[in-house]
Amino acid sequence: MPNTQREIQELLADYAGALRDGCLPTFLKSLTREEAKRISESPDFWEATEVVRLMNSAGFGDNVVTPDVGLFISRVDAAIASRTKKAKASTREHSRSQVNLHP
Amino acid sequence: MDKALRNALRELTSSDAESKRRAMEPFVRSTFGIFIRHLHRYLGNEVECEDVLEDVYADIWENPDHLRAIDSEGQLLRTVYLYYMRKRLREVYRRMNRSSYLSSNDMQNLIAPELGLCDLISQTELKQVLHRLLGKLKARERKAMELWMAGMSNRAIANQLETTVGAVKMLEFRTVLKLRRMLKEYCEED
Repeated sequence: MPNTQREIQELLADYAGALRDGCLPTFLKSLTREEAKRISESPDFWEATEVVRLMNSAGFGDNVVTPDVGLFISRVDAAIASRTKKAKASTREHSRSQVNLHP
Repeated sequence: MDKALRNALRELTSSDAESKRRAMEPFVRSTFGIFIRHLHRYLGNEVECEDVLEDVYADIWENPDHLRAIDSEGQLLRTVYLYYMRKRLREVYRRMNRSSYLSSNDMQNLIAPELGLCDLISQTELKQVLHRLLGKLKARERKAMELWMAGMSNRAIANQLETTVGAVKMLEFRTVLKLRRMLKEYCEED
């Protein structure tokens, strides 16, 4: 039977492609047990991923910077408001349980 | 570090809740570009980068203590990566641990690694360095890298170089390792 496992250079090329195309989960799911072991044991693979990340950033990093940050700021505001609400709710919950403990 | 960012950092780390809230907008405006580009290195996906960054900013708002006494953009990025981003990056594909054969340690090294080579240099400097280093490669190596960075598939690169896909992958692998050695020398000199 032919060996269908990818060699380390193929694994790196597929990781780089997945990172560039924004579909890392597809790469992660595609790994077989043998390939995952190969990655784990290859220092070259780990060294190469550092450069691939830098190249990806230099080549495509600017595409993710939206010209208008306003919309994103409102998302952050909403996240902060939601956390504040949760914190207040948990404080109320906590004080209620304190009351129950000492009737 | 510019004045707006310096002021935002000072207010963000103050004990007054209202000042903290007011400081978030200028802080996000000044740092969004730096942080999202950095996250893009690890995820490569705009939607995931924004989701992670939203949580990172909310974490910073909740607990900004690590950002006291920051006096440069490099130091800010390093601190934010180590104390806020990494934790969130580890969570992105945590659910996939069950369906992937990669160990959780390897998964973490792939998605949220330690800061490595030249990780904190600015985007502009990174582009200049890579451009210079690509110029030092052999013509075939340089062409493969340039075509890859132009968004071409390995099959399209193979057609351009009149070779096989397997040979292109091997060429890319060797060239990336060569670039790493060159980058390491550059960072050590720097």
